[in-house]
Amino acid sequence: MKSLLRRVDDVLRGRAASQPWLLVVLCGMAYGAVMGSFAGRAWQVAYSAAKVPLLLLATLTLSLPSYFILNTLLGVRAEFARALRAIVSSQAALTIILVALAPLTTLWYASSANYQAAILFNGLMFATASLGAQVVLARAYRPLVARDPKHRALLRIWLFLYAFVGIQMGWILRPFIGSALAPLRFFRGGDWENAYVVVARLVWKTLTR
Amino acid sequence: MKTWWSDLDRILRGEATRLSALRRGSIEIPAGGITFVLVILAMFYGACMGSFAILKESGPSLWQLVASTVKVPALFVLTLLVTFPSLYVFNALVGSRLALVSALKLLVVSLAVMVSVLASLGPIVAFFSASTTTYAFMILINVLAFGVSGLLGLLFLLRTLQRLSLVVPEPETEASEEVGDEKENSAEVKSTGALEPMTDQILGRHVTTVFRCWVILFGVVGAQMGWILRPFIGNPARPFTWFRERDSNFFEAFWAALVSLFT
Repeated sequence: MKSLLRRVDDVLRGRAASQPWLLVVLCGMAYGAVMGSFAGRAWQVAYSAAKVPLLLLATLTLSLPSYFILNTLLGVRAEFARALRAIVSSQAALTIILVALAPLTTLWYASSANYQAAILFNGLMFATASLGAQVVLARAYRPLVARDPKHRALLRIWLFLYAFVGIQMGWILRPFIGSALAPLRFFRGGDWENAYVVVARLVWKTLTR
Repeated sequence: MKTWWSDLDRILRGEATRLSALRRGSIEIPAGGITFVLVILAMFYGACMGSFAILKESGPSLWQLVASTVKVPALFVLTLLVTFPSLYVFNALVGSRLALVSALKLLVVSLAVMVSVLASLGPIVAFFSASTTTYAFMILINVLAFGVSGLLGLLFLLRTLQRLSLVVPEPETEASEEVGDEKENSAEVKSTGALEPMTDQILGRHVTTVFRCWVILFGVVGAQMGWILRPFIGNPARPFTWFRERDSNFFEAFWAALVSLFT
């Protein structure tokens, strides 16, 4: 427990933490459990606890091969280990911030049973945590950028790639919160529609109405 | 076999195309081995592309997976076969010193870069295949993946050409050891007219122009070759066929897919 807290501190202060992915799993599970407690169903708690780390790590795994090849092509392969550590610790920072915000989520759940509001509140928490993770990532990348400005462009490409995969990953892993009215499931049933297609159709419908 | 993969690694890291490595005017890479690696990677992407068809509720089509796995390598090899003769002929016509084998090696190496990027995007495409039901979206994301990898591969080709044009061929005095801007400038001063071919260089300006034109040709032929070889993804509303009837063209169909995504 003590070593875990030290690792958390290391990540937040930008020191090299050992095995930051372990933090992603543990803290991700912790926030996921809180997130799934909305309807007070034990299985939803367990599902959401599994889903948050899955969301982060699966997105990371899917996006890494392209990022690796791109780093190699741009001639900064030697520093890829450092870049990867920076990325994983920013993920860890994201989950740590989420855990720190978890009491607020619990308070929100305790004070309102509105499902839509719960979704919005969790969205806000994730946005806040992502901003914090951005700070950690930019800080970890600063020495790399100083050595080679190509890292700045690479970082932008990484963020685009990660967001592109992550949005769809989050979409198919729904429900994270679990409405009290909907039946309990790991995946939401029905058509596995693509998040971007849904948004594109929504925009189109709004514009042509 | 293992050395082929490390050769690919050397290409990607840019070690195979350093100025010192290009001294002989060719890339010191076993073309056969790289072609093998290239085909394997292309098959991997083909499998990712075809996975859309096996995960459909309307009935999985394993044949589509097999077809795509075969077709993606075929796409690259056929495009190369169609465009290489004209490249070589025009290349020789403008007086390039690039021999047939060297030119082919250069293209194979560029294709290897292209396919490596493509294969690295494979997991993402497979993930979207598994979690999407909209056929049009799959077309667009695959076109995007091919576009990005094609762009990077052709950029690699043009950069390598630029490096080749800086290199001075080997069998000369020891002075040719200094490669770089200085040598380039002194060669410029000696030549009398701007239109005269620079004989002491492997690649002159015309050769680069020929390659630039070829890059466009390669892109257009590649896109249309992909169209001829379709279906790669497999329309869930239609039964499996190895090839579709001849109609339309790539660019028209791409636009139609883009529009259908919104409507």
